[in-house]
Amino acid sequence: MSWIDIEDVCVMVGSKALLSGVTLHVEAGTWCTIIGPNGAGKTTLVETVAGLRRVTSGRVSVAGQHIARLHERERARLVSLVPQQPEVPAGMTVHDYVALGRVAYHGLLHAPSREDRNVVESVLERLSLGDFAQRDVVSLSGGERQRMVLARALAQSTMVIVLDEPTTGLDVRHQMQLLELLKKEVADCGLTVLATLHDLTLAGQFADRLVLLDEGKVILDGPSREVVRSGELSEHYGMNLRVVDVDGSDVIVPVRH
Amino acid sequence: MTALTLVALVVAVICGLVVGPTSIGTWRVVGAMFAHVGIGHDTLTNLQSTIIWQLRAPRMVLGLMAGAMLAVAGGTYQGVFRNPLADPYLLGVAAGAGLGATFAIVDIGSGLVTPTWTPLLAFVGAMLAVAFTWLVGGRGLRSNTATLILAGVAVAALLTSVQTYLQQQASSGSIVRVYIWLLGSLASASWSSVLLVLPYVVICIVVCVMAGRALDAMSVGEDESRSLGIRVRQVRFIVIAASSLGTAAIVSAVGLIGFVGIIVPHIVRLLVGTSYRRILPISVFFGAAFLVFADTVARTILAPSELPLGVVTAAIGAPTFVLILSLRRGFVR
Repeated sequence: MSWIDIEDVCVMVGSKALLSGVTLHVEAGTWCTIIGPNGAGKTTLVETVAGLRRVTSGRVSVAGQHIARLHERERARLVSLVPQQPEVPAGMTVHDYVALGRVAYHGLLHAPSREDRNVVESVLERLSLGDFAQRDVVSLSGGERQRMVLARALAQSTMVIVLDEPTTGLDVRHQMQLLELLKKEVADCGLTVLATLHDLTLAGQFADRLVLLDEGKVILDGPSREVVRSGELSEHYGMNLRVVDVDGSDVIVPVRH
Repeated sequence: MTALTLVALVVAVICGLVVGPTSIGTWRVVGAMFAHVGIGHDTLTNLQSTIIWQLRAPRMVLGLMAGAMLAVAGGTYQGVFRNPLADPYLLGVAAGAGLGATFAIVDIGSGLVTPTWTPLLAFVGAMLAVAFTWLVGGRGLRSNTATLILAGVAVAALLTSVQTYLQQQASSGSIVRVYIWLLGSLASASWSSVLLVLPYVVICIVVCVMAGRALDAMSVGEDESRSLGIRVRQVRFIVIAASSLGTAAIVSAVGLIGFVGIIVPHIVRLLVGTSYRRILPISVFFGAAFLVFADTVARTILAPSELPLGVVTAAIGAPTFVLILSLRRGFVR
């Protein structure tokens, strides 16, 4: 059963096509990562699935529901978003920031319910943020901050989570740490993940499936290992990429001419 | 902090009733206040009673409402526009009200309108200005807040130019009256003016305070707020409409009182933190107390003449703000 259905989607800005005839189905409980060079349309695609961008034609459904026809609150209970450059409001505590993920449940006029508070506490605990709960969000390091943004998305208790370059600005250890946390959530809660990543090695190691996007079109779509090992990556990234097997894992290495 | 603000409010109310050119003992005034609610006896003479209940009380109540409304509207605007320089006059309320009031005072059309029309035309001018800004700024719903702010600047500039032209054409007596109105005053307060603006102010303050949770959530930006389930554009419309309507009602009654709407929310923010759930309700009480204190100074320091209220709000508010800012940053030891 697929949770995300993208059917022949086109997104135009003026006369420029950001997405052109994109069709994609993501199965429940799987992790699909979109890869591609800058300007390929990756961010546009995840924003479209999150309901933040209107499609010019085609249709995006999540759990069988047409995303553009849903009210914001209904949509926020279906899909959560980890943006590429999240805004972090100074003066807000980590706890309050994560609790924003529950707004779709208790609304804007009511205080969080006991269940809302329990969900927030649980997420803070799972992502090892409990000790930081009362700290100002701006006092966190880059890695802690990204975990906090992931925690807010998980607090939305959605079955689908979309992430736009969630590892931007993190060192290798924190990139791995964040993706491992997400992988655990996928395994424990049956989350369906649609993510974009620039790091092809990490993309290949964590995703069940990779989709190569270029100039708004799907070029390749398949199991991670097949996409990584196809010769088309080099062509679309405009450089020589070599795949090296390290202890059974594929590592993609750019080769300087 | 809430308790401290409430104490300041009670002290401001008592000052507003007790302080004035005619000396009436504090405890006699307090006794008269209690007598009004059925506790104890009123020992005021008829003249003193008239001074307290027909002159000072309506002025004090209108001051409370004006301070509360301007402060909460300023805080709300700062939240919805995510701009620390926002004040209740951002979208052209002041320029529109100024033009409406000038229109009434300088008597365009030889007797067609009279100065008694000033509050009505100021209110209409303020609301039309905001509506015009909303339309020019892409109807607000579709546009971003920066576009709306720029539209407000353009509309205010246009209306101010018309108002300046009218002023230039007027007699010197009219110019003085326009100038006095522009600086704001509670001198013409009466129970009828209080009752006229009361419904607007109460409803608008309630809506603004209830928006605190929404403004906190919207501090992560428009796209992220939408992904969290917030109908950002609808919230923005309701909040701007309530702030503008309440401000227009107050301005029509007391003229343009500057500084309260921008500085009071900042002072409160420095004291209680950045959450609008706390800033907005405390701004209501702090703004109310602040304006009544300022008015008490304005009407007594040069008695029997009065200082413009806007001069006093700036003179008291600016040093207070700087002091709190310095203390918070540890500059003053």
